[in-house]
Amino acid sequence: MTNEKISIKKLYALSSENRRFCFSLPLKQTIRIGKRNYEVRLKNDEKFGTYILWKNRKYPVEIVRSRQNKYEILFNDIGYTFTIETPFSLQRMKVLGSKKGKVEKEMVKAPMPGKIIDVLVREGSNVLRGEPLVILEAMKMQNELQSPVNGQVLKVSAKSNSNVMKDDVLVEIKVE
Amino acid sequence: MKINRILIANRGEIAIRIMKTASRMKIETVAVRTSVEPDAMYLSSADKIYDNTEAESEIPVFLDIEKLIGIALETECNAVHPGYGFLAENAYFAQKCTDNKIIFIGPSPDALYKMGNKTIARRIALSGNIPMAMGSEGNIGNEEEAVTIAGKIGYPVIIKAASGGGGRGMRIVRKAEEMEKLFIIASKEAEKAFNDPSVFIEKYIENPKHIEFQILGDSRGNIIHLGERECSIQRKHQKLLEEAPSCALNEELRDEMGRTAVQMAKAVNYESAGTVEFLLDSDKNFYFMEMNTRIQVEHPVTEIITGIDLIEQQIRIANGEAIKFRQEDIKLNGWAIECRINAEDVQSGFAPDPGKIESLSLPSGPNIRIDTGIKAGSVIAANFDSMIAKLIISGNSRKDAVKNCKMALDKVWIKGTKTTLPFFRMLMRHPKFLNGDFTTTFIEKDLDQFFYNSEYEEMLAAWLATKLFIEENLEDNSINVDFENGKEMSPWLLNKRINQF
Repeated sequence: MTNEKISIKKLYALSSENRRFCFSLPLKQTIRIGKRNYEVRLKNDEKFGTYILWKNRKYPVEIVRSRQNKYEILFNDIGYTFTIETPFSLQRMKVLGSKKGKVEKEMVKAPMPGKIIDVLVREGSNVLRGEPLVILEAMKMQNELQSPVNGQVLKVSAKSNSNVMKDDVLVEIKVE
Repeated sequence: MKINRILIANRGEIAIRIMKTASRMKIETVAVRTSVEPDAMYLSSADKIYDNTEAESEIPVFLDIEKLIGIALETECNAVHPGYGFLAENAYFAQKCTDNKIIFIGPSPDALYKMGNKTIARRIALSGNIPMAMGSEGNIGNEEEAVTIAGKIGYPVIIKAASGGGGRGMRIVRKAEEMEKLFIIASKEAEKAFNDPSVFIEKYIENPKHIEFQILGDSRGNIIHLGERECSIQRKHQKLLEEAPSCALNEELRDEMGRTAVQMAKAVNYESAGTVEFLLDSDKNFYFMEMNTRIQVEHPVTEIITGIDLIEQQIRIANGEAIKFRQEDIKLNGWAIECRINAEDVQSGFAPDPGKIESLSLPSGPNIRIDTGIKAGSVIAANFDSMIAKLIISGNSRKDAVKNCKMALDKVWIKGTKTTLPFFRMLMRHPKFLNGDFTTTFIEKDLDQFFYNSEYEEMLAAWLATKLFIEENLEDNSINVDFENGKEMSPWLLNKRINQF
């Protein structure tokens, strides 16, 4: 376990697309763009709920999920996922990342509650990234759940005509 | 018999929409409370509520013909409005209403049946010489036959493998001279791929626009059209944005398509409001697709540019009244755009995102109309569709309407689920949309990103994530988090926390 009790001078917010935003501590209420500093405020009121005020405009914000140092945020109706790293944890991540390589098993989960209409793969099937695995019907629409990776199907838990809850694991794939 | 009380056989925004006009016409309404959404907003617009929450039935009440007839009789309604979806285009339901001396606010059972049956509808179109996207009746035997049939259908045509799929064995033929060669190639390819050389031919419509005409017909045989709606912005045949009029039509084409739509409606003695759908190709040839025998989701854009309340017309026509205006009285004024704000995640290919609407703030103003059945606290249930609200914007011109729409979109606040708002924000800035240069394949082919965010939005979101992290984990400028085995916290608890800043 790695509790850190050190003084830190900055934090990094790493986006899921690997864009990096650096903020120095203590966190300022201004953000510098070019040569000017702009004020940024997190506010809350009855009418709008929580919002960010930036350049005289209000942007609605919501915290969708937070786990460990990972934050999923809705900003102006668009979802962003960041992990917050200290200079130290960022460095460690780089080292670990280069040793560990990528994940070996990918779980395909139901993104919403619904009914399985069709299962298109079997245990042992080889699948390509983007290949449809399962047809899930929710809210009168049929949704194709696609394989996020190239690999081989290890286990199929989804059954045709069965109802599933959000986040139920439907297919497990061994990543190639 | 004059309509004095209407049973609303529907829910959500369309139930409210119908009750609004009924109330203005001093007609009472009855709404049905269901166990799925016992506190739904539409219930507060009704004069009377029939409580069906205790009912134990496998099918939803809005699809239960016997039950609805029973409710109408019990609550002494002498008319039923079906709205859209559910039983709106069900000929048997319409017939059952008539049998029980209840007025079905919609077309006759006969018109519902004929237009609902695609084969009959095609036959009607064919006998009226209405252009259709035709196909060969069956498989084509040889290249000579292919040339003859393609000549009848008109080029371009597409050759398809009878046992095919996935694009294999398909060939687009643009000229008669190419037919022989391409027919042989397609047939050979079909044999190789599917072990079956049989192919058939269909009209190929290149990058079509979806244009539909609003029709009104009365029991005296008067049928007129109220201009067109452009509905090309769609995904998997689900419309997302509609506008009226369409920038693809001029007066001449509008007259011609409008006349064709009226001709189609006349063939089934159409009564009430209906819609004739066409595909329009880039050479401005149009083809009959189908007729929708109901009030449509996108009806408000027509109401705005014509000034005619379509629900009122439906009720008057059902009452046996004649339509008070003639074709030449119909003038199209200004422009209207409807954005369907749905609980969908545009970042995950428009996947439904059901959930509870935590808070909701919708704009108002002279150019803004909102049709909704959702309020703060409502649940977008997986049982029903994902619509939250229809944002209907008007302007003097298309440019003006787009400008107004862009501003209004920034004033819509919805929290609790993801919505299609970022998609519309992108659309209002997309050069092809602004130029009217889009077809039904726009979303699939012309877009590389389904949403819009301004330059600094991601950075601001990163700032917020960092701020939250500090509030939760950082004391005295030192850090207290286990980066691998952290804790989980409810998002709503978190939201409460950030509210305390």
